[in-house]
This record gives sequence, C-alpha cells and structure tokens, in this order.
Amino acid sequence: MRTRTLGLSLTGLVVAVVYLIPVYWMVATSLKETGDVFNTPPDLVPKPPTLAAYRDAVFGDSAVLQGIWSSTIITIPTLLLTLALAVPAAYGLARFSLRVNGVVMLLMLAAQMLPTISIALPMFAIFSDYGLVDTYAGLIIANTSLALPFAVVMLRPYMLAIPQDLMDAGLLDGCTGFRAFRKIGLPLVQPGLIMVATLTFVMTWGEFVFGLTLATSDAIQPITVVLNRFVAQFGTQWTNLMAVSTVIAIPIIVIFVLLQKYVVAGISEGGIKD
Amino acid sequence: MSTTVRAASAPAKATTRRRPRRHWSRYAYIAPAVVFVAATTLYPLYYNISLSLYDAPIQKFLAGTIEFVGLANYAEELRNPQLWTGLRVSLIYTIATIALMYVIGLALAVFFNRKFVGRNAVRAAIFLPYILPSVVAANVWRWILDGSYGLVNHALMSVGIIDAPVFWLGQGNSAMVAVVLATAWTMAPFAMLLLLAGLQNIPKGLYEAASLDGAGPVTRFRRITLPLLRPVSLVVALLGFIYTFRTFDTIFIMTKGGPGDATTVLPILAYNEAFVNFELGSGATINTLMLVIPTVLALFYFRATRKEDAL
Repeated sequence: MRTRTLGLSLTGLVVAVVYLIPVYWMVATSLKETGDVFNTPPDLVPKPPTLAAYRDAVFGDSAVLQGIWSSTIITIPTLLLTLALAVPAAYGLARFSLRVNGVVMLLMLAAQMLPTISIALPMFAIFSDYGLVDTYAGLIIANTSLALPFAVVMLRPYMLAIPQDLMDAGLLDGCTGFRAFRKIGLPLVQPGLIMVATLTFVMTWGEFVFGLTLATSDAIQPITVVLNRFVAQFGTQWTNLMAVSTVIAIPIIVIFVLLQKYVVAGISEGGIKD
Repeated sequence: MSTTVRAASAPAKATTRRRPRRHWSRYAYIAPAVVFVAATTLYPLYYNISLSLYDAPIQKFLAGTIEFVGLANYAEELRNPQLWTGLRVSLIYTIATIALMYVIGLALAVFFNRKFVGRNAVRAAIFLPYILPSVVAANVWRWILDGSYGLVNHALMSVGIIDAPVFWLGQGNSAMVAVVLATAWTMAPFAMLLLLAGLQNIPKGLYEAASLDGAGPVTRFRRITLPLLRPVSLVVALLGFIYTFRTFDTIFIMTKGGPGDATTVLPILAYNEAFVNFELGSGATINTLMLVIPTVLALFYFRATRKEDAL
C-alpha cells in the first residue's frame, strides 16, 4: 500500500514536470546568453545562467518599464472597483430573493461569454465619443466590465453559505443590514474574496485585447501589448522576449503560489454550481 | 408585491427603521453592479448592432459623417468567402481544442482522483497554465515550436518521430495543430478541476460492486465513470466551446491568423476588419454574425443547468 502511493506520488511529480516544461523553458531561455539559444542540441540548463536579458530588455528598456507601470495603474483600480461593485451585488443576489434575480444572473453569465473583441470594437467607438480612448480610465472601465460579472457569479455561492442565524443575530443586536453584513458576513466569505481578488488580478494583469484596441499610445499600453510590439520589433531575440514574458508571469506565479488553495477550491466549487 | 421599485434608487440610506420590507434598499445592493455591467456590455452590444447598419470607415466615423446603409453590410458579409472560411476555421479550432482539452483534462482528473502524498501540491502546479497570461503562454509556445531551434522539434527528432524539422507556424495544417495545442494546454487544467469534482460525486460503492462482479478497470471506466460523468462533461464541453470560440490572443500572437487564412478565426477576422482595414461598420457586422453561435449554445446551456437546478 505504501509503495503504491509512493509510486503515485512519483508519477504525479513526473506529470507536473512534463506539463510545466513550457514554463521552465521560458525561464531557462531568459537566463541564457543570446547566442546560446541557437545551440544544437539545446542546453537544457543555461550555462552559465546570466541576467543579461533582464538587464537589457527589462531594466534597460524604458518602453518595457512604462508598460509594467501602465499595467499596474490599470490593474489596481480595476481590482478595487470590481470588488466594490461585486461584493454587495453578490450579497444582494444571494440573500434577497428579488424578482429580478434571475435576469441579473443571466446578464452576469452572458456577459462572461461574449468574445472580448465584440465588446472592444463598439467600446472603441463609444469611448471615442467620450474622450476615453487611450486613457487609463477607459482601460479600467473596460477591464472591470470583464471582471465584474465573473466576480459576482463566483462570489455568490460564498454569500449563500453565510448562516442566516448569524446575520439575524446581528440585526437583532441593532446593526443595520449593511453593518451586519460588513461585521458578520464579510469575514465569513474571506476565502471567496481572496479567490475573486486573485482571479481579477490575474485576468486584468494578463488582459490583451482591450490594451491592443483601446490604447493607441505607448504611454498607456499595458505590458502585454508592449510585449507584442517587441515580437515584431526584434523578431527572434528569444532571450529578451522570454525575459519580458517571465517578468509578466512573475506576479501571477507568486500570487498563485501563495493563494492557490483558495483559487483551486473556488473554481471547482463556483464553476460547477452557480 | 412591490416589484416596480426603480433599480437605480439613490445610494442606500439604510436608516428607514423597522419597516419589515425595505425592498428599495435591497435593490441598492445589486443596482451599481447591474448598471455597470449593462452600460459596459449591453450598451456596446446595442451600439455594435446599430454600427453594423452603417458604412463606417474610420475617417468618416471620426468626422461624424457615417452613412446609414441598412442591411447592406450583412448582405456583403454573407457573400464574403472570408466569413465562411473564418467560420470553418473557428469550428475546426474550437472542436479540436475541446477534444484535446477534454482528453487531457479527463486523464489528469482520473489520476488526481486517487489519494497520494503531495497530491494537492502537484494538482495546483498543473493548474498554473490556466492562469498564465495568454500572451505569455502564446509566446512560449511560439518559441518551443520554432522550426529551427524549438524544443519540440528537437525532442521529436531525437526520438525519431520526425526526421526533418517541422516549421509548425509556417504551414496551414501544422499552424492549426500548434494553436490547438497551445490553447488546450491552457484550458485542460480547468477541465481537470470540473471533471475531478464530477468524479468525486460518483459513489465508491458502484466501483466495489462492479469489481465483485468481475469488471476490470477498463470496463469500470467505460460502464461507470464515463456515463456518470456525462452531466459534467456536457458543462465542460459547452464552457469549453464558449471560451474557445472567442479566443483571440493566443492565435493573434502565434500566427496573426496565418499563414494565409489558415488560423483566421472569426474574432481575428472582426479585429482585422475594424482595426487593420479600419472598416468599423463591417467589423461590427462580423461581430454580430459571430455572436449567433455562442448565443444559441448559451441558451442551450442555461436550459440544461436550469433543469439540473430543478432536481
């Protein structure tokens, strides 16, 4: 019995290693000398590892630094706005059976299923009327439109799980509805909040289509779009391209390693039963 | 009862004391999110449809002189062979991706359904590709599928599967294989999670009874696992379809829709029309036509899930 689970553990490790080879290859390439990526057979381990690509293509490239900055400026307000709107909405949908609930849930689910380009095109036209093309505000609105319906749908099951008795006790103690929710409900749904915040961050940080269509000037474009320009500009400078890709992936990987248990549990629960 | 309360009432002043039914404050919880989503999704969709009725090259659009042409854009697009090629490419891409994603996801789910030390850590690690930014994943796949120096060609050649390098992104068929592979790699962990949840709902007793009756692992998988996974599989297939049908980033980064139009799926076609040819009207028309298929599927999905809720 014990040897069998040991065998399974080892198999599991092999499966994970094989599945993540592309991620390893990105990082390994980013640590190679420019010329070494053309070695045959390829060096499976960079020898010697060098940070040259990071020095040149990340810290030495003002466009890349600007892109990282723009992504940050877009992601943080999007995250805050999404949570500020989604938390009360998910709570309202879970706790009150209003007649509009069905329609609202349908709207939230349908909004997630639209191709981004079908929203980006008319948004470009609408935003150009309001002077929002090529502004951070425009990108924050666009990204929130993507994250918000998702956040509402994913948070609702957590809100449904708040015990009614606890909320009633709060209301009897003289809390108003919203205060009872803030003091009693909110702490209970913390795992859900962490999950939704993480995934909103992930979505917004990696978003590409809105960045491509709604940001026309270099100063506003998120790093995902700057990376794309990199491809055209330098063709096959693979070490640099992989270094910038790694830098884009690092916040995602770090956050995921720290918070994966919330994310994985949240998706498997929220994904099945809305 | 009083359901005609306006959704967009003033910010909730939750001070009206002790009235047992304070509907307006209840609507205030959901109103801001509903207004936001309606303004940023429904309104653009409406705008898209109205834009599709105009001849709107970008110069005219910016000058405010677009011309109403009725359904002319639709007539033109429906006669446009590119649209039909795009539809075919989209369907091939979507169906192939779902199939591969499902097979990988199911294999992973069956494996991770067994208990072993370190299972959760390994399962979480495999989940990473799903949340990796698609531009990152697409560029990494572009690199490992590179014709001259790619890892995949090297591996395939060293074990003798191919004897000359394949320029994956350079030819139509292999470019399709490449984008399917890259997309399935990012989507399979999602399928794995849903299918794993499905597997855990299958009563263990069924397997024990089948074993006593002399059913081997293959029979048990075919006769118990697959049939009982059907509802979850359906959800995976439908969500997979909806999410893959709308894919833009991965293909845009890997092939830009090429070579030729071999990987020009409908979202790429709509983008090209609006942001490369700068024909906003016909871009909007392609958008509307493209939405027909996921809309039909979504309706099907809602009906299916509603039935499940009723159980």
